[in-house]
Amino acid sequence: MDKNHRIDLEMFEGPLDLLLFLIKRDELNIYDIPIAQITKNFLAYVELAKELKLHSAGDFVLMAATLMKIKARMLLPIEQDGDEEIEDPRTELMNMLLEYKRYKEATTSFSEMERFERPHYYHIPASWSPQNEDGTAILEDVKLYDIMLTFQYLIKNYEEPVTHSVAVEEVTLSEQVGFLSGLLRSSSKISFVTLLEKFESRLIVVVTFLAILEMLRNQQVKVKQSELFDDLLISRGSKFEN
Amino acid sequence: MIYSYLEEANLKISELKQIVEALLIATPEPLTQNRFNTCLGENKIKIPLEEVIAALQKDYETSQRAFFIKEVAGGFQLATNAEFEPFIKGLFSKAGKLRLSQAALETLAIVSYKQPVTRNEIESIRGVSSDSSLRTLLDRKLLEIRGREDGPGRALLYRTSTEFLQYFGLNSVKDLPKLREVEDILAEDQEELI
Repeated sequence: MDKNHRIDLEMFEGPLDLLLFLIKRDELNIYDIPIAQITKNFLAYVELAKELKLHSAGDFVLMAATLMKIKARMLLPIEQDGDEEIEDPRTELMNMLLEYKRYKEATTSFSEMERFERPHYYHIPASWSPQNEDGTAILEDVKLYDIMLTFQYLIKNYEEPVTHSVAVEEVTLSEQVGFLSGLLRSSSKISFVTLLEKFESRLIVVVTFLAILEMLRNQQVKVKQSELFDDLLISRGSKFEN
Repeated sequence: MIYSYLEEANLKISELKQIVEALLIATPEPLTQNRFNTCLGENKIKIPLEEVIAALQKDYETSQRAFFIKEVAGGFQLATNAEFEPFIKGLFSKAGKLRLSQAALETLAIVSYKQPVTRNEIESIRGVSSDSSLRTLLDRKLLEIRGREDGPGRALLYRTSTEFLQYFGLNSVKDLPKLREVEDILAEDQEELI
């Protein structure tokens, strides 16, 4: 295959994109796709994808299998079973292509909007974070995704203390919910980093983190953070039971 | 038109414009009518923000400011005029804003029209795994996770964020261009063939 083909293949966002390209290039009718022809052309590209070790090669191979299945079904004689209409084996593929095409077309207007908005820069005040009385900033609107990123970051730095006792650890979610509730009854704020220091195993850390998520969901706690990857500050939520 | 409120609020029009200007400078997110009401506080008089904004906007135009007030994400925010982009770029190390890849745009388009949506639904439309696009979009805060699906597996549900509206200069997702109907696409295809 020549160099141009290589460049082509990387342009495609996936097998559906490639199929749409082949349909357009060869001026095929999407209602009546010549399966044998398109399968042949498609496979040539898939070989290339495998050779290039594209990370989406698997998706292309999957589509190749689908195409070959359709091709095989098209070869089977159609049984005339009374009045029952037999579905064209290509229908599902056609619907997928059309649905994908709708969104692919929409990306053109997204690109335009992006290009149009690019030159405008918003005024964002430098000191926009609300401040605590002690001067530390608070991120009021901590998103679940931020919390998960933070947990990933914190636990990466967590070193399990070296111990040699052999015992079955038993820690449950409800135990840790109880544990956290207890702590919150005596203090209004707990630091997740400080909690980490107390725990003796990764398992307890994970279960405690799950307990925090559970309580967050039930609005028993609130979680605040000064900035991403910073300590999580846990305090009583609106539905905290005393 | 503003004047009837002014008397009630015991404010001059120039003062009112200054207040709104100050709020626009300090607001971390687009200034909404609701937030404006809260800011006015004790006065308890509802002053239509839109009218003050229009008056301010006119001032900016006549005095040839380098910025304007942009209506975005259901509120108002200050933004620079387009012609200053070449200079502003110099403020950032990455030569201005990074554009989204085609994969990211496709993923974003699907989420914005179908939200809330699971990764599976996105991938079945695109026909290709969309993990890294989703990650990029979450990192850039254009998407956010909003709960989980009720069905088996309790898959995460993705939605567009306020930053998404700001990024594309939209007031709400309702302002997105309409998705073309399948029938339309088919009709056009037939025409091309003939």
